Amino acid sequence: MRAVILDGLVLGLAFGLLGVGMTLVYGLAGVINLAYGQIVVFAAIVISLLMEDGMSTLLAAVLGVLAAAGLSALLDLTLMRPVYREHGEERTLLGLLLTLGAAFVIAGVLTWRYPDGALYIFVDGDPISVIGVPMAVGSLWASAMALVAAVVLLLFFGATTFGRGVRSVIQDEIGARLVGINPSFVRTVIFAVSGALAGVVAIAQSMSGPLTVNAGFELTTFALIVAVVGGLGSVAGAFLAGVLLGVVNALSAHYIGQYITTIILLSAAALTILIRPRGLLGR
Amino acid sequence: MAAGYLGESVIDDVDVEVRSGEAVVIVGSNGAGKSTLFRAIAGLIQPMAGRVVLDGKDLTRRPAYRIARSGISYVPAERHLFPAMTLKSNLHLGAYPRRADPATLELVYDLFPRLRERQRQQAGTLSGGEQQMLAVGRALMARPRLLMLDEPTTGLSPKIAQVAFEALEGLKNEGTTLLIAEQQVPLALSVADRGYVLENGRIRLSGTAKELEGNPEVQRAYLGVA
Repeated sequence: MRAVILDGLVLGLAFGLLGVGMTLVYGLAGVINLAYGQIVVFAAIVISLLMEDGMSTLLAAVLGVLAAAGLSALLDLTLMRPVYREHGEERTLLGLLLTLGAAFVIAGVLTWRYPDGALYIFVDGDPISVIGVPMAVGSLWASAMALVAAVVLLLFFGATTFGRGVRSVIQDEIGARLVGINPSFVRTVIFAVSGALAGVVAIAQSMSGPLTVNAGFELTTFALIVAVVGGLGSVAGAFLAGVLLGVVNALSAHYIGQYITTIILLSAAALTILIRPRGLLGR
Repeated sequence: MAAGYLGESVIDDVDVEVRSGEAVVIVGSNGAGKSTLFRAIAGLIQPMAGRVVLDGKDLTRRPAYRIARSGISYVPAERHLFPAMTLKSNLHLGAYPRRADPATLELVYDLFPRLRERQRQQAGTLSGGEQQMLAVGRALMARPRLLMLDEPTTGLSPKIAQVAFEALEGLKNEGTTLLIAEQQVPLALSVADRGYVLENGRIRLSGTAKELEGNPEVQRAYLGVA
């Protein structure tokens, strides 16, 4: 039981980052980014290619994160432009369609060029005991990375002027413009941050097992579920929901079966919408 | 200047001038075009014709955030505060992208002592009057060259409205340049140096506050004098 919960926490931290990446973009741009999982995969493939070329894991990982940030910012600057001209329901729908299109294009290109593409970062070392449960070093590294990313984000949003500006755009865009904040610049930066998070997720996930080229749509689904349960637009909520759902996922996989987990997670999202549409910490 | 929405002009041929240190009021009934004029000056909508000039610098068609950084702070009637942030965070954001200047913060708290008491409260939970004070305070944090207030007494009781205008009087005496749109004409004329009467999107009358107060038309339409 303890081992299952710990495994769930490791997974949950990565889920949390996925949810944060999804929820930030939704909060700022009103766009549900259906290409998000593909950005994770893109980062994974970039890192694996660089490592095949003999680059050190660390450098490859950093470049992979930057590449994912760049791709995400590029989506904002090109594909998303017509979306921002729309408002309300039209914006949501056009955003869904265009990001879904982007997802198919990225997935298509990656599986065509690298049909066996996968990233597996093997971390050497004997398992370390955590409250009596032996944990793989890779899992611990992955969790530490996710936690560091979460803390950096919270500090960024809580303690910097720019971070405060980001929150202000989420809460009232006109108010933000009136105090001198440029919403489109903030949006591009947040797309880049969201892409960088996708890169971190790719690294974290590949430390406990291979992340393959076709994992994208499943990752998008997880990100969407976590973001909905946490409350779209709420960073802390997404992180909390990710950790909770990671544990739920591990428990249901262990006691019922792997086949049921996605159904249970989707039910959690559906239930959230019915009982508490704002999500755990949403406004 | 001319401006409006979806190709329909709401205001036409409106020329308003505010000199440094002056308080100027725009008087007019609902729908006369006061908010449209302010939104066009602030860059929230693009004017169809005309120019926005501050200290000889042409700000026409700049995005709203640039106009705000150039020294025009606009407090809309809807206030547009950041409801889930503390009062203090709202004030700090007023100085964006710079850090909030402690002296300016003190000035705002001295002007509205209520705000000092409620620093840690979420802006969304404040009363209407407190939100209005916060909106003005947030605009002041940028140390604007021109402060534009759209219907600052909206939703306030007559007593609080009186207090609000006393605060505006204080601001004016501090040297802040003010452009105020107001339906509460007597109150507005009491702080203003000059005023314009806007009707159906055009300037109908203009003059010093005294001249407007003495004008029979203004008296009949806005001052309740038979």
